[in-house]
Amino acid sequence: MSVVELAGVTKAYENKIAVNHLSLSIDAGQMFGLLGPNGAGKTSSIRMMMGITIPDSGTVTLFGKPFQRESLDRVGYLPEERGLYKKMKVIEQLVFFGQLHGLSPQDARKRSTAWAERMEIADALNKKTDELSKGMQQKIQFISCLLHEPGLIVMDEPFSGLDPVNAVLVEKTLLELKDRGNAILFSTHRMDQVEKLCDSICLINNGEAVLEGKVREIKSRYERNHVIVEFEGNADFLNSEEIAEAKNFSGHAEIRLKPHGDAQKLLHQAAAMATIFRFELIEPSLEEIFIQTVGGHANA
Amino acid sequence: MRNMMLIARREYLEQVRGRAFRLSTIGLPVLFAVIIGVGYVASLGLGANKHLVILANDASLADAIRTQIVSDKDGTPNVDIVAPASPDSRAQLIQQVQSKAIDGFLTVETQPGGLPKATYTAQSSGDFVTNDRLSKALNDGMLNERLTGSGINSTDADALVKGISIETYQVKKDGSVVRSNAQASFWKGYVMALLLSMTTMIYGLNVARSIIQEKTSRIFEVMLATVKPSDMLAGKLIGVGAVGLTQIVIWLVTGAAIMVTPFAAAILTGQYAVHFSWAEGVLFPVYFLLGYLLYSSLFAGLAATCETEQELQMYMPLAAAPTWLSFALIILIINDSNSIWSILASLFPPTAPIIMFLRMASETPPIWQFAVSITLMVLSIWATLWFSSRLYRVGILMYGKRATLPELLRWLRYS
Repeated sequence: MSVVELAGVTKAYENKIAVNHLSLSIDAGQMFGLLGPNGAGKTSSIRMMMGITIPDSGTVTLFGKPFQRESLDRVGYLPEERGLYKKMKVIEQLVFFGQLHGLSPQDARKRSTAWAERMEIADALNKKTDELSKGMQQKIQFISCLLHEPGLIVMDEPFSGLDPVNAVLVEKTLLELKDRGNAILFSTHRMDQVEKLCDSICLINNGEAVLEGKVREIKSRYERNHVIVEFEGNADFLNSEEIAEAKNFSGHAEIRLKPHGDAQKLLHQAAAMATIFRFELIEPSLEEIFIQTVGGHANA
Repeated sequence: MRNMMLIARREYLEQVRGRAFRLSTIGLPVLFAVIIGVGYVASLGLGANKHLVILANDASLADAIRTQIVSDKDGTPNVDIVAPASPDSRAQLIQQVQSKAIDGFLTVETQPGGLPKATYTAQSSGDFVTNDRLSKALNDGMLNERLTGSGINSTDADALVKGISIETYQVKKDGSVVRSNAQASFWKGYVMALLLSMTTMIYGLNVARSIIQEKTSRIFEVMLATVKPSDMLAGKLIGVGAVGLTQIVIWLVTGAAIMVTPFAAAILTGQYAVHFSWAEGVLFPVYFLLGYLLYSSLFAGLAATCETEQELQMYMPLAAAPTWLSFALIILIINDSNSIWSILASLFPPTAPIIMFLRMASETPPIWQFAVSITLMVLSIWATLWFSSRLYRVGILMYGKRATLPELLRWLRYS
């Protein structure tokens, strides 16, 4: 059963169609990436999912039922535009958000403390929010949408403002939640994270889904025309007629072959000129697929 | 309902714990007491220590006027007489005024068979207190002189000129008769109306400010994923309104505690007798709540269309207009608190809270007028909430630029 499902959802504002007949579905235990250039309609889609705005047409289904506000008690939402009460103490703020999601004050306090320890911000619990760094505020916001143990977690750019150490901490937490059966949707521009974390993606552009499916399956649709070569010696093989584009980083080259370019021929040319330590034919990265699909049509 | 009350509680605790609440709870009554006290003390000395000259042909009339001026208990100026008057003496006096040797001079020109003509020449043209005193002294002095001239002995003439003061008593609704003082009653009504208008405006604008802060801090998106916009607005109105009520209850309880002290009892039964009724005690919070809800629901909608507090300030005249209008009608209400204009102003929702308290200062209006005024206010609040909640639910998610009028009209249609 899908945890969340959008079926033919459309939303228009004045003269602009923000989302056009979008359909997607996320199952329990699935990490789903909602991708797209700026202004593609990601936030508009998420807002409809969260009942913040109502679709002009199409349906939103949460936990197998047509959208109803009561279902939001089982959803954790981290919007792109973060918001915390600046003058409130962190612990009071977390208890308040926990209560809004139906927890008792005692339960909310207990869970807040446990999560704060887990996210390594226990020292900040009695501080006012405006005394904290942006990264710490981000972690508090992250905790506030997990306190009530939601079945669906929706996060818009969850890694923005986090340093690499904290980004890894959040990644680890999201993977654990996924393993526990939570459905997770996140929207980001960081393709490396999508590639690492997501099972499925939906790429939208100008409000329409232009690419969707499981990450592995999507990548397999594209020809393996990328080569990583690690070498020592003459780099002239990078001028081979089989190559469309090559970047050489002092012995580490990233190569894109021409359509129907012959990788074996390139390997022979490279081996004749240099000592080859690694020659790996790889599929294109999500970032390349993203750029290739969206191309010059992005609204950013 | 649960989430609405959680939001109300959060708003309440945040504001009650704030420094602004403590300062205004103590500061506002102290400020009023200081203003009234300073005004009273300053008025005691008005006209004192002035050096005046009476320039007249009739020396005995000038002396009678002088006697009246120096006998004024509120001010004992130094008064000289120059008689008989001549063009030279007038020119000299003008020079003395110019060199500030004297504050001014009163010229009294007597005309056979007619009333004297009087002029007052001074550096200040706005000293109406001295003008009034001189006018009274001139009339009383002339009357005294005419009475003694017609054979009435000077003691009887003084008594007639002095007049008889009237003690005022007020018949209350319960039939009891209590001593009252029109001036003290007016000031009581004035202060209550002023407190009411200030608290209504302050807390109404607090709601607006709180909405703009939440919009700036982008917390709405988080909240709206859990709470309905209508619950958010209602929670905010309840929370901030409860803060205002708390403040009023603190003032009422403190006021009641002060009133039972011997010091207050002496004042309340003396010359400045002021009576507070239970009706006033009950109606003050009621009118605060109604006025607050009217203001705050209007400003909640407007605040949702603004990006910054500076933008909100352009709506300030709208907030202040009912207060200005109410206080502009004071003379009308003092003259006749039951005139049709007084009644209409006390039923008109934006001015009702203030005007009702100004009217109650002189006489408690009939119950039906309270009922009509409260009903009209409730209907206005409902209409304003309808309008504002529509602006609010769209406006809180709109960032980046101030909404134009056509956009606002579209927002009203969206909801």
